[in-house]
Amino acid sequence: MAHAAQVGLQDATSPIMEELITFHDHALMIIFLISFLVLYALFLTLTTKLTNTNISDAQEMETVWTILPAIILVLIALPSLRILYMTDEVNDPSLTIKSIGHQWYWTYEYTDYGGLIFNSYMLPPLFLEPGDLRLLDVDNRVVLPIEAPIRMMITSQDVLHSWAVPTLGLKTDAIPGRLNQTTFTATRPGVYYGQCSEICGANHSFMPIVLELIPLKIFEMGPVFTL
Amino acid sequence: MAPEVLPKPRMRGLLARRLRNHMAVAFVLSLGVAALYKKAYADFYRNYDVMKDFEEMRKAGIFQSVK
Repeated sequence: MAHAAQVGLQDATSPIMEELITFHDHALMIIFLISFLVLYALFLTLTTKLTNTNISDAQEMETVWTILPAIILVLIALPSLRILYMTDEVNDPSLTIKSIGHQWYWTYEYTDYGGLIFNSYMLPPLFLEPGDLRLLDVDNRVVLPIEAPIRMMITSQDVLHSWAVPTLGLKTDAIPGRLNQTTFTATRPGVYYGQCSEICGANHSFMPIVLELIPLKIFEMGPVFTL
Repeated sequence: MAPEVLPKPRMRGLLARRLRNHMAVAFVLSLGVAALYKKAYADFYRNYDVMKDFEEMRKAGIFQSVK
C-alpha cells in the first residue's frame, strides 16, 4: 500500500510493473530535461542587457526545434508501445478468477477447481482490529499464488467500477454487460491493496481490493478452500 | 612593427554552444539514473528467497489464509 504523503509509484510486484516504473523514469527524465532547457532559456532572456532588433528569419533554429521534439516523441513512443504489447503477450494462465463489481463491494469467483464464490466488503471502522488499515482492509481477501500467471476476468453487476492494484500495475474497468480480461504474474508474497477506480456512487471510495499472495506450493495445499 | 593581432574570438552562438554541451552532459547523466533503477530491482531479485520472506510475513501474522 502507499505510505502517507507518498507521491511516487509503489514498488513493483510484477515484471510488467517493473517495466512501467522504468518507463515512467524515462518519460520523467525527458520532462525534466525539457523543463530545465525552457527555464534556463527564460532565465537567460530575463537577465541580459543585450538586445537584438533582427529576430526574423531563424531557419536553422526553426528546423532544430521541429526535428528535436519529433525525435523526443519517438523516444517516448517506442518504449511505450513495447510495454503495451508486452501486457498482451500470451502467457497461458494457470488460474482464472472472476471479479464482479457491485455497489459497493466485489464478488470473487474461483471456478477453475471448484465453486468458491465470496463477497469482499470493506471492514467498517468499528470492526477494525489493531493493525488493520482503515478504509483499505476487507473481510475476505483474494488469495492467489505467486510466480504463476493468473487471469482476472472483470465485470460489473450494476454500474461502472474499476479493479485496480497499483503494485501489480493493474487497472481494468468493470463494465456491466462486458467481460474484460487482465493477466499478471506476481513475484513476491505479501498483502497488496487497491481501490475501486471508477466513480460508482456514494461508497465508491469504500470498496477496496486486497490481494493476499502466497507461494504456489502453499496455495496448492488449499488454504483458499478452507477459509 | 605591426601590433600582434589576436585571433578573432568566437562572437556568436555562445549560448547555443553552452546549452548544447550542458544538455548533452545532462542527457548522459540521466541515462545513468534509469540504469540504476533497473540494477536496483535486479540486485533485489538475484538472491531473493521467496520462502524466507513468506515465513517472516507469516510469523508477523499478516496473512489470513495461513497462520
